[in-house]
Amino acid sequence: MKPCILVEDSDAKAVPKRIALIRREAPARLLDHGDEFVPSAPHLLMQEIIVLQACIVLLAIVSLLFDAPLEGIADPYHTPNPAKAPWYFLGLQELLHYFPPVVAGVLLPFLAVVGVAVVPYFRMNVEVSGFYEAPWKRPLALLTILTAGISALLVVYHVWPVLIPTVVVYVLVVLPALAFCPAGLSRRLSAIPMSDWIMSWFVAVVTILTTIGVFFRGPGWSWIWPWKDGIY
Amino acid sequence: MDLMRMVTVNRVWRSIVRHGVIATNRNRAMLVMENVFLHLHSVKVRRRNLELSSTYYLGGISLILFLLLTLTGLYLMLYYHPSVPQAYDDMKELQFAVSNGVFLRNMHRWAAHAMVFVVFLHMLRVFYHRAYRPPREFNWVVGVILLLLTLLLSYTGYLLPWDQLAFWGVSVGTNMVQAMPGVGPRLRFLLLGGNIVGDNALIRFYVLHCVLLPLGLTAGVAVHLWRVRKDGGVAGSVHRQAFQAARRAADPRRGRNGRRASEDRGEGAP
Amino acid sequence: MPEPETKPDARLTRRRFCQTAGVTACALAAGGAGMLSVEFLHPRVLFEPPTRVSLGPPDGVGVGTVIASESHRLFVIRLKDGFRAMSSVCTHLGCITRYQPDDGAIACPCHGSRFSLDGEVLVGPAPRPLHWLEMAVSDKGLITVDTAVEVSQGMVYKL
Repeated sequence: MKPCILVEDSDAKAVPKRIALIRREAPARLLDHGDEFVPSAPHLLMQEIIVLQACIVLLAIVSLLFDAPLEGIADPYHTPNPAKAPWYFLGLQELLHYFPPVVAGVLLPFLAVVGVAVVPYFRMNVEVSGFYEAPWKRPLALLTILTAGISALLVVYHVWPVLIPTVVVYVLVVLPALAFCPAGLSRRLSAIPMSDWIMSWFVAVVTILTTIGVFFRGPGWSWIWPWKDGIY
Repeated sequence: MDLMRMVTVNRVWRSIVRHGVIATNRNRAMLVMENVFLHLHSVKVRRRNLELSSTYYLGGISLILFLLLTLTGLYLMLYYHPSVPQAYDDMKELQFAVSNGVFLRNMHRWAAHAMVFVVFLHMLRVFYHRAYRPPREFNWVVGVILLLLTLLLSYTGYLLPWDQLAFWGVSVGTNMVQAMPGVGPRLRFLLLGGNIVGDNALIRFYVLHCVLLPLGLTAGVAVHLWRVRKDGGVAGSVHRQAFQAARRAADPRRGRNGRRASEDRGEGAP
Repeated sequence: MPEPETKPDARLTRRRFCQTAGVTACALAAGGAGMLSVEFLHPRVLFEPPTRVSLGPPDGVGVGTVIASESHRLFVIRLKDGFRAMSSVCTHLGCITRYQPDDGAIACPCHGSRFSLDGEVLVGPAPRPLHWLEMAVSDKGLITVDTAVEVSQGMVYKL
């Protein structure tokens, strides 16, 4: 067979070119997953009706057993102690305990919302193979510096509830790179992409802060133990 | 049954319902396509998307909770006057004088808390299944907007009972808004309709809670679901997709189009 | 042995049983929800002003006087045979009528209906006579009129 000749011509009509750009994280693959399709009516509609009924029944049972709170009429001259926001804002209110209002009330929520919103536009190391193989020193060093910086800030402001999950997540990420880590654990931990670690860290921080705000804060925003002092 | 035939085989019925009751694929398709309330659904769905582990039904449950909140809210609106101090008296009236008032108020309150929680779980599910990958990126952003709208709806509703819990909870929140550099004080003034949490604040929060935010949320949900349709249906789990694709590729019973012959005949699952 | 003949719908299959049970349960739930809604929509407590009103003592009303109460929308008339109370709301479209002492009649300003002191329609589009109302004397010795209780025409009270 004669060897192929390379023809270089910028005229696309004379010499048609086909170029496919395959990015690393989006390899070319067959679009047809071989999925089985079923008609929406009745399968999906019936499922929706059943879930609707289950929700109504569950909600009705809870509504019959537990009453919504109603305290005394609003009195602008008497602040209750403690004055707590609705439960989904108590994480923020707990953060207000450590940082000034500009940071805890405006900056951090804004960063959180923007951070969550841009998730799909950042290819944050979705494939993990690069992180633990050589050259892993550079990304690991970057991560260490970042974590050290955040931890220092947290220590300065005494924000222990956020410091603890930060340290835990950092240790779990770094563990597979250490020699004494058992192989099974190393394999499972290193399979988790960085984006998942960051989101898990965020969820852990939000959950811990909200839990503290709901159960562990009493009059004057002091620390209480709910099993001893009750829930405020 | 003869009763069914009597009801459905006449001119009046046929003028309203254009598809038959008999279970053929044609009638199943027509039911979904030609009904204005159902036509947001696709005619066919992937079987794997119906499984619990695909979506945990969290998106659907969020929508169901929103519908229940709208319904119970409409009931409660009939006895509620958004003025000070009438609002608090109306809460007492709902609690003691109105038939089933306690039940409906409880339904509304617990559905509201549940919706905030379920919407958050839905976001986590979509994230960990990586169902936000292209072409679904913007739908994720729409979802974040819907999360914010849900939180705002819950927050504006929190003030309406006008009890100590409501008043001081909202006071704390609006003081946080004031901390925003530059626009903070002006934004707080706009939100409250004044400098204090009073009559103006109550009516503004009432209109936000009952009209503006529900309309916004409905529009957002419409865009969100429309984009799901246009992106080819619910994404489900990326991990499960890969696993099942590999399994199906090895299945000798499947033809070149990936479907079994029994499905083409309209028999659904074997 | 010949098999017994069975019509296709005669046997109760599991599917038919479950379908019927499910639909019945949904119908019961819907009915219950409907009853809950109807009950909810009927207010059990009304914050409207009371219908029984107190006026002055009976001795303060001389024979042949007509008392027109604008705030309570009624006439109290004492004639030789006794007391009578009539609603001053015109039976045509609900305007408040006025007593005209010059011709001894009750006139409605809206469409010109005129009523006698017995409430009978003299002139005009009003379809029915003015309503007569229940009277009594309270413990304090004052005339009370219940504007919600209608009595028959000609019910004269001796108070």
